[in-house]
Amino acid sequence: MGQSEFLFRAKQVYKSFGATKALKGVDLEIRHGEVLGLIGENGSGKSTLSSIIAAIQPADSGSFFLNGEPYAPVGTANAVHAGVCMILQEKGTFDSLSVASNIMINKEEQFSRFGIVSHRKMERAAQEALDAVDASHISAAAPLGMLSFEDRKLVELARAMDGKPKLLIVDETTTALSKVGRDILYEIIRRMRGAGESVLFISHDIDEVMEQCDRVVILRDGMYIETLSKEQFEAPVIKSLMVGREVVDHFYRTDLVSSAEDEDVLIFSNARAGAVKNVSFAMKKGEILGIGGLTDCGMHDIGRLAFGLDPLESGAVSTPAGEIKNPKDAMRKRIAYISKNRDQEALMLTSSIKDNICLASYPKLNTGPLVLPHTENQFVDDLIEKMDIRLRSSSQYVMELSGGNKQKVAIAKWLGFGADIFVLDCPTRGIDVGVKATFYELMTELKNQGKSILLISEELPEVIGMSDRVIIMKNGLVNGEFKREEELTEAKLIHYMV
Amino acid sequence: MNGKTAANLAKAPQGGNVPIWKKINPRMIFPALGLIMVVLIFQIFSGGRLLTANNLRVILNDVFPILVGASAYAFILSQGNLDFSIGATMGVSAAVAALAAGITPILALPAGIIVGAVIGAINGFSHAVLKINAFIATLAMQFILGGVILIILRGGVFSVPLVMLSWNTMTLRLSVLFAVLIAGYLVFQFTPYGKYCRALGSGIEAARQTGVNITLNKFIPFVVMGATAGLLSFFSIIRTATVSSHTGGDLLMSVLNAVLLGGIPITGGATSRFRAVIIGSLTIAFLNNGMILLGFVPNTRQLLQGVIFLMAIAISFDRKNTKVIK
Repeated sequence: MGQSEFLFRAKQVYKSFGATKALKGVDLEIRHGEVLGLIGENGSGKSTLSSIIAAIQPADSGSFFLNGEPYAPVGTANAVHAGVCMILQEKGTFDSLSVASNIMINKEEQFSRFGIVSHRKMERAAQEALDAVDASHISAAAPLGMLSFEDRKLVELARAMDGKPKLLIVDETTTALSKVGRDILYEIIRRMRGAGESVLFISHDIDEVMEQCDRVVILRDGMYIETLSKEQFEAPVIKSLMVGREVVDHFYRTDLVSSAEDEDVLIFSNARAGAVKNVSFAMKKGEILGIGGLTDCGMHDIGRLAFGLDPLESGAVSTPAGEIKNPKDAMRKRIAYISKNRDQEALMLTSSIKDNICLASYPKLNTGPLVLPHTENQFVDDLIEKMDIRLRSSSQYVMELSGGNKQKVAIAKWLGFGADIFVLDCPTRGIDVGVKATFYELMTELKNQGKSILLISEELPEVIGMSDRVIIMKNGLVNGEFKREEELTEAKLIHYMV
Repeated sequence: MNGKTAANLAKAPQGGNVPIWKKINPRMIFPALGLIMVVLIFQIFSGGRLLTANNLRVILNDVFPILVGASAYAFILSQGNLDFSIGATMGVSAAVAALAAGITPILALPAGIIVGAVIGAINGFSHAVLKINAFIATLAMQFILGGVILIILRGGVFSVPLVMLSWNTMTLRLSVLFAVLIAGYLVFQFTPYGKYCRALGSGIEAARQTGVNITLNKFIPFVVMGATAGLLSFFSIIRTATVSSHTGGDLLMSVLNAVLLGGIPITGGATSRFRAVIIGSLTIAFLNNGMILLGFVPNTRQLLQGVIFLMAIAISFDRKNTKVIK
């Protein structure tokens, strides 16, 4: 046969994390010179599978073949040597090292004599690697910590490509990239295909996958579902295969009218702090105000400022009742905040559901100086019922819950507290499509009760679908403001983001 | 939002469906088993001398400072913090209390408590405001106080008016002990402050982003700990009528071992329970007493306490959760 038809084959891959079965006997085949899409909901096992291929973690069982030979790398360095490189979903670089050291990590011997690394040679080679991926604007000598998130991804790309990979794995990288960055990545993917090498492309974005890939493999609940070739690509088909049922498209708000009461409830006036350069806006009562932009445009800092978590350099963040200078101020003004980093910042994972929900409300659950278990249980059971949190008992650790249920706990905490203004930073991040709809319904319900929601999100469809008004930020400034209307499209907003 | 519906009632006892053996956390029963084992082993090897009326009275005297100290220490440990200066705080408080007793004997009580509280406040300030790791801040304090007590005592031993020995009654000790335990239990388990302490140990950033005052809640337990060490210095004076540079020397190891053996993880957090104070203190008191009964010399006892400390941390350390968080 000489060369086999497939560059890479995986057979019957199993992987468990404790009681959770992440992969239940998955097969995967990647042809020479093809871009294979891997798509599925959160928790479908696509990231687990790709990280096993890149040898970031071992499989429990399963067999792997690269070019027809058994492939069993131990550690990523080993995989890179075999020609398998991966660009990670989250940060995969070292902040305190220079760009060059990041690109040439594990390859220092090439530039060293008698154990001493020549930084000059290494930087020159690193710059060449950057030029090769059209990222010449990044200096190899710069410390990586100085770069934006997007440029760090490009550094990772340069590092991966410098290894001359036969198989490049791209794991949800594009969510962190602007149009320019995406175009660079797409160009690299085209070049790989042109040279007869293969790419495994993992993404949430169905449109992007359909555009970039030759074939697409769909996973659901850790199982292989289907492979579609280019001519079978159709968004509704892929979506329903991912979710396992027909997906109704209108899970956002159904009305197309922007509505709010004429009363300002949260006011930013010339606020400046860190990534936020000079921001002014006023949110109305009963309004869902969406804030969109690229990851580091300052929109996440807006949420922190609204809750008084960071000190302002100048300007003010206030409600009609006064300025917000710390979380205590914010809570006195009945503001709730749920961080984008839910597991670290909004929840105590190693505490019970009950402890988490009650944390904001102890001052009102008192009987004299004490908080009695009976009062706590009644309070928590009501909220669990209301939010339909799936649990064994309210004494269960939050750590054991799924992403959607964790977020429900975080929201239940603030509903119980009785917040009037909800500052939600990426509220549906890491949540299954099916459960997302529940949150959108809840937002609409809160709005109808006269509560206000500041919806900060990296997902434009969500911002457009839910908001009465959309603010687009760029480089720490407000770059555009749009009313809810039918003509508001992603394409129009992206124009103001980049 | 507090209305109780029938649906809620039906939903509430869901935990009841879980078999009883699955609900028992090994970390909950180990401490109690440990206590039973210690009592059994020393009862057997001492030929029944451990559980005699006379010896139990001795143990009650020994367990008093451990229980009182551990009641205050539980709040610090539940935040995942440590205080290494409690023994030295007790020593310095005792020295100042003895000086005050020279003026009027009863002044020793307020003097000891105030000096302890001030030292605790400095610890709390270093950690909560200056943001120095509590372990480092209190270790430094321990060295500082070690110097201070030598300066106050001028290398000698202080004696106090002998009338104070008559204050050392079982009634006084028992009433103080029960008052401290009841207050400690209620505050730890059922007040917002106690719950905030555990929340800080469980997820400090989440607590901050839920409006919990981090600085204040980190400061208070150190002040209370200091004042408690001051209170113990008073009881040490009325028991021995003297103060030396060794006063309070045993307190740190005994109290730290007690709360850890009792089952509060060294990382603190939601699993911290006040019963750890009682179970752990009794274990340590029986252990110390049992070793004396068996004729262990003080040096061997100290060595064993160190070994127990290491074992207690190894058992109580919450590796599973640490892996998830870090």
